[in-house]
Amino acid sequence: MDARQIMTADEIRRAIVRISHEIVERQAGTEGLVLVGIQRRGVPLAERIAAAIAEHEDVAVPVGALDITFYRDDLSLIAQQPIVKGTAIPVDLNAKTVVLVDDVLFTGRTIRAAMDALVDFGRPQAIRLAVLVDRGHRELPIRADHVGKNVPTSRDELVKVHLAETDGEDAVRIERRGDEA
Amino acid sequence: MAEMRVGETVKLLEISRAWLVDPVAGREGPGEVVVRDGILEAVTWLEGDEADAARAEGGGPGGIVVAPGLLDIHVHLREPGNEDAETVASGLAAAAHGGFTTVCAMPNTTPAADEPGVFARVRAAAAASGSPVELLLHGAVTVGRGGERLAALGELADAGAVGFSDDGSPVQSPVILRNALLYLGMLGLPLFEHVEDPALTAGAEANEGYVASVLGLKGWPAAAEVAAAQRAIAVLAAVLPDAPAARLHLTHLSTAGALDAVRRAKAAGLPVTCDVTPHHLGFTDEWVAGSRRWAWEAVDDDGIARDPWADRAFVAHPYATSCKVNPPLRAAEDAAAVLAALVDGTADAVATDHAPHAQVDKEAEFGLAANGICGLETALGVLLAAVAAGRLTLARAIEALTTGPARVLGGRPGRRGAARGLVEGEPADLVVFDAGETWAVTPAALASRGKNTPLLGRELPGRVLLTVADGRLAHRDAEA
Amino acid sequence: MRAVEGAGAAARGAGPVEGAGTATTEPATELPWHHRHLLDVDGLSAADIALVMKTTDAMKEILARPITKVPVLRGRNVTIIFYEASTRTRVSFEVAAKNLSADVVNIAASASSVTKGESLVDTIRTIEALGAHMIVMRHGTSGAPYLAAEVFSGSVLNGGDGWHAHPSQALLDLYTMRAHLGDLRGRKVVILGDVLHSRVARSNVWTLTAMGADLWICGPTPILRGFDAWAARWANGRGPGGHAGFTVTSDIDAALADADVVMALRLQRERMDAGLLPSLREYAARFGLTRERLAAAKPDALVMHPGPMNEGVEIAPDVAVLDRSVITEQVTNGVAVRMALLYLLSGVHAGGFPEGSIGG
Repeated sequence: MDARQIMTADEIRRAIVRISHEIVERQAGTEGLVLVGIQRRGVPLAERIAAAIAEHEDVAVPVGALDITFYRDDLSLIAQQPIVKGTAIPVDLNAKTVVLVDDVLFTGRTIRAAMDALVDFGRPQAIRLAVLVDRGHRELPIRADHVGKNVPTSRDELVKVHLAETDGEDAVRIERRGDEA
Repeated sequence: MAEMRVGETVKLLEISRAWLVDPVAGREGPGEVVVRDGILEAVTWLEGDEADAARAEGGGPGGIVVAPGLLDIHVHLREPGNEDAETVASGLAAAAHGGFTTVCAMPNTTPAADEPGVFARVRAAAAASGSPVELLLHGAVTVGRGGERLAALGELADAGAVGFSDDGSPVQSPVILRNALLYLGMLGLPLFEHVEDPALTAGAEANEGYVASVLGLKGWPAAAEVAAAQRAIAVLAAVLPDAPAARLHLTHLSTAGALDAVRRAKAAGLPVTCDVTPHHLGFTDEWVAGSRRWAWEAVDDDGIARDPWADRAFVAHPYATSCKVNPPLRAAEDAAAVLAALVDGTADAVATDHAPHAQVDKEAEFGLAANGICGLETALGVLLAAVAAGRLTLARAIEALTTGPARVLGGRPGRRGAARGLVEGEPADLVVFDAGETWAVTPAALASRGKNTPLLGRELPGRVLLTVADGRLAHRDAEA
Repeated sequence: MRAVEGAGAAARGAGPVEGAGTATTEPATELPWHHRHLLDVDGLSAADIALVMKTTDAMKEILARPITKVPVLRGRNVTIIFYEASTRTRVSFEVAAKNLSADVVNIAASASSVTKGESLVDTIRTIEALGAHMIVMRHGTSGAPYLAAEVFSGSVLNGGDGWHAHPSQALLDLYTMRAHLGDLRGRKVVILGDVLHSRVARSNVWTLTAMGADLWICGPTPILRGFDAWAARWANGRGPGGHAGFTVTSDIDAALADADVVMALRLQRERMDAGLLPSLREYAARFGLTRERLAAAKPDALVMHPGPMNEGVEIAPDVAVLDRSVITEQVTNGVAVRMALLYLLSGVHAGGFPEGSIGG
């Protein structure tokens, strides 16, 4: 397997701390903030960002989880319905500033689906986007407000984010498609 | 073999290295036959070294077999009245494909064959078909099969009826049954009774038992057949003093209880005979749930029916209406009793109860679908599967399709090969099949218009190569 | 939060499409749903049932939102055709389909359609020609949905056929039980009433035994016909296996003793007319679920009923409204379960099946 590591555990940690500061700076505080992680790996990332904010601001920002399965635009193209993972939004989203959190930003379709889902829960005042890796190749007019690392990739590459909570380690790697085990 | 077309007299046919079965002579073994200009010119039984050599070259019972043409005493030809399901012509073609050179058609046509005019129509259709297969006719017992007044029994007998039946239904009234047995006893002809107590079977869908319980189908109790069989036998016993020549034949028996009743009646010397169908011998009610294993594979070593759900034995979808028949496919224990009755002679004959239906009558919800399984073309195959599984001897299988049914009919002249065996100098009436070869049961392969058999898609043993009836070619396998 | 637990539990699950072009999901460890139809529950594996339960959880979450609608079945046509009168189940399916943004056609065919000569096969073909992708069907004859599945190129969901099966009811019953009791292994579940004519009973036999419950069936002997033989078949490890027990009895006190769940089934007047039982009064007196009888069960035993109820016959009015009666909850769970089933079935397209198989 010819995988190139592009972020180490330390780099991930620093990126998360920086993003947590940026979020608070952009909001001029923590008032009205809600972090919503997109299943699956966006959820532990959102929790880590919330933990970082709690450390430097001493405020517990609410964290939710969002499963966008029911809002995907490609369900008719795949063989079976994906297994749902669960949504839990702990607060009313009306007039809040929602920061969506995901691991990789690629075509933008996941974020489009996430926004559709969010508006079914209420009317946020603003929606922002924080991602650990932006790999380019957008197919929709979507951009991230906070980016951990910009990684130019080619279409036939895969960006694999591993997090301790889901995969047992913290690392980001690029693999060539076809190199998968 | 010379070029021959169906319907033509067989000019010359020589079969060597075959296994000959002659149930009349009670003999089977390696041999050769020659047919010339429609006559069975030579039947040569090989002895000693020649026989051993023939066997060594593959001329055993697992290869080409020559037997007298088969006789089916219970078929439904649907003409007149339901030609979408079958005509006399297609039915006779199906018979020939199955190796039968004589069939007896039941009278439940529309109109019912309760008077000679209907016989004439059916015979005209047979003549027009050009088929050399002999068509014998049963007359109805009651007018319109309505169970109230006796049909023109004497006139039908004069017109050549070989038996009488209201089949499809029982003769419900014991009074009518008694009177019919008395009258037919006078005429010396058998009454074929479909034993069923309709009060117990109203709305029934499948054999009452475990499978019907799980599938939520209304049960068809065995008691409905057993009780009716016992009653019919009792009526026969009561009329014998007045009509010593009366004969009762119970057709398509499917339950251990009814077969036991016949066994006891025979032991007591009563003139009762019975037949069983290939489907009651080979299939079970688990086929309704989607299984397709033979009945003898569906019991464990203690003779108890296996659980198809536990065995995950399903290969077809459940509620296939091709499995819906009257009497219904029974539990594996009953099928085993049917096979045992055939082996010990309680069952005198195998008769197919060939019951073709138009697709529209079968393509319905299970409870609403018409009852019936097509059996003419698959009967031999089912019996040979039992032979291959060691459950039945080839000799008994052939007997059950030739001398057995001929005896039920009283062995009257007019029944060709079945009652005569392989006799030199007689018009050739025989079936030639390859017990070692299989054939695929597909709608295109079936000559019958009715394709309602759950064997569709399956390979059966015993490809019929040639059927010769009365010296003329009745069927020839496409690759023979 | 339950959602986060879910994320952690699966080592690798199917993720959103983030790859080139189409279909590039990561392989899933949990098997996705692969049944094209849902005609009965006998063919469902424990994994299948677990998947239905998990998907139902997600659907319940949607039902708790201000907007109880998701676009997942947008553009799909779900045609509901009920040959037997039933308001609650028919509407439950309609609500479920609409919550998933499907286009719904709801047909209440009556028996007269059949007598008028329009065959079931013709009707299904017509419905297909009119654009249906999924059919939800209820019919008075056992096995009818199998026939529909044979002639329809989409998916068929059995909403109840004759006496045979009612998959969505058994699954919602299971969901309700598990929500209160958790693991059902070894739990005593009693089904009380007219099991002979009950598709709910038959389907529950399969799901409950698959979940390892100790199943009891109880009623007057004439309407237990067939179940005794069924239980005997499955005794001594000969059945599909896994259940803690399968007992059939007419002794109601033995049946209710220490029960964890009591499910009462409706008894219909037609049973008396058919000469099967003496009278409703006698049934109520001997087998009705009253507070006195219920006292033999565990103090917090669940009381269930698929509805509609004959209060005063199979269940006393004061029992139906007890705190531990989850009858209303069954209705709510019914919508969620049906949403889950519609979602799972909709993902399996006709093209994905081997030749000749009905897809199970």
